[in-house]
Amino acid sequence: MVTMYTVGTTILVIPSGMAAEAKQDAWIGAVIGVAIGLLLVLLYNAAGGIYPGNTLVETIEAVLGKWIGKAVSFLLICFAMILASELLYYIGNFITTQILPETPILAVHLLFAIVSAAGVRYGVEVLARSIELLFPLFILLLLILVAFSSFQIEPNHLLPIMEADAKSLLRAGLFFTSTFSLTPVLLLMIYPASVDDPHSARKAFLWGTAAAGVLMIAVILLSISVLGADMTARQIFPSYALAKKINVGNFLQRIEIVVAGMWFISIFVRMTIYYYAAVTAIAQTFKLKDYRFLVLPACIILVTLSLIVHPDIVHSTKYDREAWPAYAAVFGFLLPLLLVVVHAFRSGGRTDGDGDEQAGSS
Amino acid sequence: MIGLLAILAAAGAIAMAEAPRLYKQRHLKELWVFSLLLLFATGFAAAASLHAPLPNPIDWIVYLFKPVNAFVWSALS
Repeated sequence: MVTMYTVGTTILVIPSGMAAEAKQDAWIGAVIGVAIGLLLVLLYNAAGGIYPGNTLVETIEAVLGKWIGKAVSFLLICFAMILASELLYYIGNFITTQILPETPILAVHLLFAIVSAAGVRYGVEVLARSIELLFPLFILLLLILVAFSSFQIEPNHLLPIMEADAKSLLRAGLFFTSTFSLTPVLLLMIYPASVDDPHSARKAFLWGTAAAGVLMIAVILLSISVLGADMTARQIFPSYALAKKINVGNFLQRIEIVVAGMWFISIFVRMTIYYYAAVTAIAQTFKLKDYRFLVLPACIILVTLSLIVHPDIVHSTKYDREAWPAYAAVFGFLLPLLLVVVHAFRSGGRTDGDGDEQAGSS
Repeated sequence: MIGLLAILAAAGAIAMAEAPRLYKQRHLKELWVFSLLLLFATGFAAAASLHAPLPNPIDWIVYLFKPVNAFVWSALS
């Protein structure tokens, strides 16, 4: 589940931005990004381990105190909601531009939103199991993509290697991380509290991210070697363009919709999880007894938001490159860091009996 | 107009689906949050369907974070 989630939007959108940054070395940037991402997962595991039985919201309040905690949680809710509606927008945009140009976007949005809402309403277990069911299908489609496009690899597209300088690579890597890893912080909403075995959950988090990383590197590598760095940078949906090129023996053609299916699955997973995170966060911030009845009103907000959030793709891409990484970093990096640090201070201070003047054990 | 009616109908349906249960179980705080959320959602959707210019949170985010991003980006180049 972690893998699918993390691959999510990354697979569709990131290769373009990365190639623009680092040209043909974008795949190296991806490797860096994955490395950073794994470190982030370690951070998340630490933050999740503060109060093992708690979800993220509860931990926030426990560590930061009631009022600050609630304010932060509120911002978190907004974060999750905005993210979810952005994803809805992506799906709608993709479908209406590439597959069903004459369908009103609202119809697509409603369709996906309602399915997502059903999933969230049913609860984590159902969600997790259905995602597990979808996983093999997803992998199969991915393998089809990789296998069949590899016939058209041109290693020349990867030359010269390491032409990009270190800074460029770092930027590309960070860009990658912003979508890839900063958002799984929301998974902290679910996993510490509902999992029976926290230890294996942590490992799953790490392995899942690693697996997703490998997949992503493969896709980016493939994109560049088949399409060339320039084309990759120019496409809005590079992996879709990649799929379009699949042409085995002049027989297996135009199967890109099959690959689009893979993309639907992973985005759907991501969006549903954000949605779930948002709704449970609301429930916990207000200390409600359940979150289920909030699902439907939230659905309306989601759909409406998704229609106003990005007026067009240009705006969306610009935002992705200019504002998103910093915004995601605040919640994905600063927040867990803050939690871990503050918690260390507080418990260190309490053992000393000296308040938080002492550096404590960190 | 149709959109507005559809939204109101949907909101009504949602209320009817969820509210009685909450009321019977005496979850009054939940009922409050639910109603507020639904009210907000309905208003929001209604405004959107009437093509009112709605504030776009993305714009606020861009406004806040563009300088930060630019700073980090340039520090890395």
